[in-house]
Amino acid sequence: MSTAIIQSAAISKQFGSAPILNALDWQVMPGQVIGLLGRNGAGKSTLLECLLGLREVDAGTVRILGEDVAQLSDATRARIGYVPQKSDLFEWMTPRQMLGYFKALYPRWNDAKVEGLLGRWGFDKLMQNKPISKLSGGEQQRLSIIRALAHDPELLVLDEPVSALDPVGRRDFLRELIDGVIERGTTVVFSTHILSDLERVALDLAFLKDGKIALQGRLDELLESARRVVGPAALLDGKPLAGELRRQRAPDGTVSVLTCGGVGLGLPAGAAGVRVDALSLEDLFIEVTQ
Amino acid sequence: MTTHSAHLFSIATGSPEPIYRQLVDQVKRLVAAGQMAPGDGMPSVREVAQALALNPMTVSKAWSLLEMEGVLARRRGMGMEVAARTGAAQDTLQRAELLRPTLERAAMEARQLELDSDTVVSLFIQILKEQA
Repeated sequence: MSTAIIQSAAISKQFGSAPILNALDWQVMPGQVIGLLGRNGAGKSTLLECLLGLREVDAGTVRILGEDVAQLSDATRARIGYVPQKSDLFEWMTPRQMLGYFKALYPRWNDAKVEGLLGRWGFDKLMQNKPISKLSGGEQQRLSIIRALAHDPELLVLDEPVSALDPVGRRDFLRELIDGVIERGTTVVFSTHILSDLERVALDLAFLKDGKIALQGRLDELLESARRVVGPAALLDGKPLAGELRRQRAPDGTVSVLTCGGVGLGLPAGAAGVRVDALSLEDLFIEVTQ
Repeated sequence: MTTHSAHLFSIATGSPEPIYRQLVDQVKRLVAAGQMAPGDGMPSVREVAQALALNPMTVSKAWSLLEMEGVLARRRGMGMEVAARTGAAQDTLQRAELLRPTLERAAMEARQLELDSDTVVSLFIQILKEQA
């Protein structure tokens, strides 16, 4: 068994009196492509920032590529790529100047890749020499992605990387992720609300809820094993189902149970009036995170 | 014998069916319907991953499953091809098996409507005759 690329042990983070991360344990293994899911405000950005050492944790430890994230060496830092949700790139610089600046900071810098991406993603000469503040949100996001990919990182962390991109831009980004990143065996952690993109590239999913990783697993296996069992309270009350994750009762007395990985569900015999549904990723997101 | 394009395939996101499963079923249907013949070359994992914007591991998982089930065979050298057909009887059975997901859905709805098997089967036979 290889060692984890990211290992967090009991990390907690609180803003004012509001706990965001609550003794959260998480592991990311080499080569994994993980989608991080959660409601708005669940703390996905905070978690990613804490994992990268960009934000101090109140308690717990994070190790990344074998080092304590609080004392990350420059050599290790150079093996990580990060696309923040809000690209606070050097707005007064031009894309050319900004990329030149970062190139000087990294021992490894893939010029061919940068030029290729600039060309494919519509950065013509004019745009490359315009102040970044004059670029559109989508253009800034594309530039931020180019910067994060430029040094061929071993670990790529993306926080809502496509939120400002149109469908064509998103597809371009996915293709780049598949061809230039995943095929090289890069470990990828990304948060997004665009579930269709996630389904295409993520092999694993992790759901953040109440400051913890509430559910994690292979995307395929989660889809194949997650079921929503709906039926009258008379039949389902007091009967825990195999693999039960959560249970809800509607005002009309209908009980809805989310199960995952249960074998045969252990439904009461001859359970007429009980419906068992397979779930799409969107259904699963709603069931797990609400 | 042709080599099929990656664009022959399509997937839908937002379905309860995982993408690798969709690819497996699609290849089986194309083979069963004769649109893909024994010996035909399959597009590579990479080509399909690029064409459909999918993680290559997902495509690779589908191709491996199809190989295990004898639908595809590994070519000497590189790539995969549609496997030679086995006996005709087995072929019918295999094709019938493709109907299973649709029939399972119908069976579930029949149970929800509290219909007995005889009523459902005779309705299905009637529908088959209507179409013919």
